[in-house]
Amino acid sequence: MRIIASFTKQEPVKFVSHLDMQRLFQRAFRRAELPLAYSQGFNPHPLLSFATALSVGYTSDCEYFDITLSEPVPPDEFAERVNAVLPNGVRIIDAIDAGEFKASLTPLMRSAEYSAVLAFESPVTKAALESAISELLSGEIIVDKKTKGGIKPVDIRPQLIALRLTAYDDDRASFDIEGRLTAEGGLPLELLFRALYGKLGVCAVSFVNRKKIVMDWSQMK
Amino acid sequence: MDDKVRNMTREERLNSLIAKVEKPTRYMGGELNMRVKSGDGLYRFALCFPDTYEIGMSHLGSRIIYNVLNKRDDTYCERCYAPWVDMEALLRESGEKLFSIETKRPLDEFDVIGFSLLYEMCYTNILTMLDLSGIPLLARERGEDCPLVCAGGPCVCNPEPIADIVDLFFFGDGEELVNDFMDCYARCKKNGASKREMLLEMSGIEGIYVPAFYRAEYENGQFSRLVKTEEKAPDTVTRRIVRDLDKAEFTGDLIVPYMNIVHDRIALELFRGCTRGCRFCQAGFIYRPIRERKMNTMIAYADEQLKCTGHDEVSLFSLSSGDYTEIHEMVPTVLERYTKDKVSVSFPSLRIDSFLKDDLEKMQGVRKTGLTFAPEAGTQRLRDVINKGVTEEDLLRTVRDAFEAGWQGVKLYFMIGLPTETDEDILGIAELARKVSREFYSMPKEKRGKGLRCTVSASTFVPKPFTPFQWEPQITVEEVLRRQALLRGALKGIRGVEFNCHFSETSRLEACYARGDRRLAAVMVAAYRRGARFDSWDEHFKKEAWDEAFIENGLTIEQFANRRIGLDEPLAWAHMDALVTMDYLKREYNKAYEGAVTGDCREKCNGCFGAKIAGYCDMHCPGSKFNKAEEQEGGDK
Ligand code: SF4
Ligand code: SF4
Repeated sequence: MRIIASFTKQEPVKFVSHLDMQRLFQRAFRRAELPLAYSQGFNPHPLLSFATALSVGYTSDCEYFDITLSEPVPPDEFAERVNAVLPNGVRIIDAIDAGEFKASLTPLMRSAEYSAVLAFESPVTKAALESAISELLSGEIIVDKKTKGGIKPVDIRPQLIALRLTAYDDDRASFDIEGRLTAEGGLPLELLFRALYGKLGVCAVSFVNRKKIVMDWSQMK
Repeated sequence: MDDKVRNMTREERLNSLIAKVEKPTRYMGGELNMRVKSGDGLYRFALCFPDTYEIGMSHLGSRIIYNVLNKRDDTYCERCYAPWVDMEALLRESGEKLFSIETKRPLDEFDVIGFSLLYEMCYTNILTMLDLSGIPLLARERGEDCPLVCAGGPCVCNPEPIADIVDLFFFGDGEELVNDFMDCYARCKKNGASKREMLLEMSGIEGIYVPAFYRAEYENGQFSRLVKTEEKAPDTVTRRIVRDLDKAEFTGDLIVPYMNIVHDRIALELFRGCTRGCRFCQAGFIYRPIRERKMNTMIAYADEQLKCTGHDEVSLFSLSSGDYTEIHEMVPTVLERYTKDKVSVSFPSLRIDSFLKDDLEKMQGVRKTGLTFAPEAGTQRLRDVINKGVTEEDLLRTVRDAFEAGWQGVKLYFMIGLPTETDEDILGIAELARKVSREFYSMPKEKRGKGLRCTVSASTFVPKPFTPFQWEPQITVEEVLRRQALLRGALKGIRGVEFNCHFSETSRLEACYARGDRRLAAVMVAAYRRGARFDSWDEHFKKEAWDEAFIENGLTIEQFANRRIGLDEPLAWAHMDALVTMDYLKREYNKAYEGAVTGDCREKCNGCFGAKIAGYCDMHCPGSKFNKAEEQEGGDK
């Protein structure tokens, strides 16, 4: 049986890397004494996979994984048993039976919504910030992106769906950001911020929360 | 401190630093089973490990102390590890102080700071940690409102090189000692005692050493004696031991790290101490007498910890696990109990004998942990000198068994520079490796694995306090390099054999600090100021920093590392009573030069504790589980 689950990743677990999240869940499943199915081969491991990775340091209200069990467990019970043994900062929100759906979750992803706070290192007026944002949104956003062939300038504007300033106070700006997120990749937020800092001439410390991953569940059928 | 500097809270500022380092989980905390306490009036104890998180979290002793302290209602023990160089730079740049893992409290706001000293080469990291907390490095410069700086662990055998840094040392087993210490701390605090009054009170506790109550004197450039400056302080400090290890406090619910730590598994200590008495081995003397945990206690621990951690590996370790009384019962029992749940079980330091061959085959099925042997020396003559009771026949028979069981990786550990070593002994190492290789390749192809992977590792002999070789010099760096080259040449072309040897500069500094005196604290501070950090990491070792620091202080590494100390000369650590007597060590020293071996003291007491045996060692007392005579009387079960 395969279960699809959504979970949160908050403080302090936001610093746990993608690879370490694997181990975190594997150990939790062992503590919950769930009947795990294992891969074949020399070094058997549980059949656990995540829809996508989350940057280290970001929190999230909703990530996805799927896990294969060797015996059926009602999804609600699964969530309850895992939640009882998870460390602070990670919680299963929802679990469903994947049923006939055998493929990976990754191709179902369409976009993601974030909230971000930037704490500027030196004072910035609201007017300067607003004009920098509208300038940023008005044309191409060329950033230096690390690719296989080295660092290359790319336009990330097509990846950016929406960017809204929601609050501004004491040199701290809050944003709602929506960006593409698919199996091919997603909006690189850090590069977007860097482009903004470039326009402003001021750097900031960023705190990012992923609010939602938009999935096309109709594909599951 | 102002909690909100400009537009960020302290928590956000620390988070932004943590976010920038290579491994944020070193500092993040919040791991499963981390102890959380709140409330005013708790004594704050920072358990500090002067190396990285992944090394510190792998140390069982610290995990025991963490649990012992946190079981107290009046104390909250938090952890802190040496910040890696990236975090150190960020802390300095931002002006933030080094903070604890649990509550991110700056270290200088703790009542007590306790360091674990496992190896000499971590000493400069102690300085980094104090410095980054705004705590003066030298004990005499710390006032009443500074935390009490303590240290425990095997290096306390010779605490003198850091005596000027530390207020108080814990000598010996910590399980009971730290409780006595905290009781005394609480009493003194309630009475409003000054730091000095408190230290004086504590110096009366068995196992506690307060260096400020003693002054070192020197003659002709050498240590000559330690003079008491405080009448009430004890003349000698006796090592503390836990008599009944089986009943002693253990780790409780084990913290489960997020990152991959060095020993990422449940570690259970079968017994403490070792009876074999290899003459170079400090651990073999300073943890005596041997004290075991019962098999059922171990299994109960393993059950509990598997449940509360979700680990899939259990390691049952000790200094020499084959000596465990119930080993032949234990190995099959635990293998059977756990492997069905895909839990692998390992027994590091298990000497495999024929009884265990079947179990070996089972272990093989679970996980191919490497097979290791430590003959330490290449010839029987030298093995007799060092009292290493391994014969060539033993070794070859066991590797043959292992190869037949399908193993193809073997690690052989040796030491270069052991007392009386000649080139013949060095070549003997290669000879032994050749025989192991031959053993493998002479087996029919279908009976053995594909290819042998035999690693020959040669570390450099470091004379350590409280061993019969404590008077011996370390060979010079040039000589180490020559012997390494000789060995490398001799090993060339042996099929399936690979050579590994350790960088000798750090071994030399280790030898220096192991047998050093109080003058070395100033050297260490000077080296630290010149950038010495993480000296045990070869890539960080700054030779020039140390060389300059020694010159600045008018001392040399050689005078500590490469000098033969006369048997009647004063030793800088003579006031530490490790229970094994100096007379016994001298006897063993002389026997070494005669090439005479000393038997395992499970069979017969060799009298290493002298007159103190009555109070401290019941290995051959009536009623002791080690008492063979009694066992026979008890008859068949
Ligand atoms: S067997 Fe020898 S080397 Fe090993 S711990 Fe015991 S004394 Fe030390
Ligand atoms: S006193 Fe005797 S039995 Fe006890 S550790 Fe020493 S030699 Fe062994």
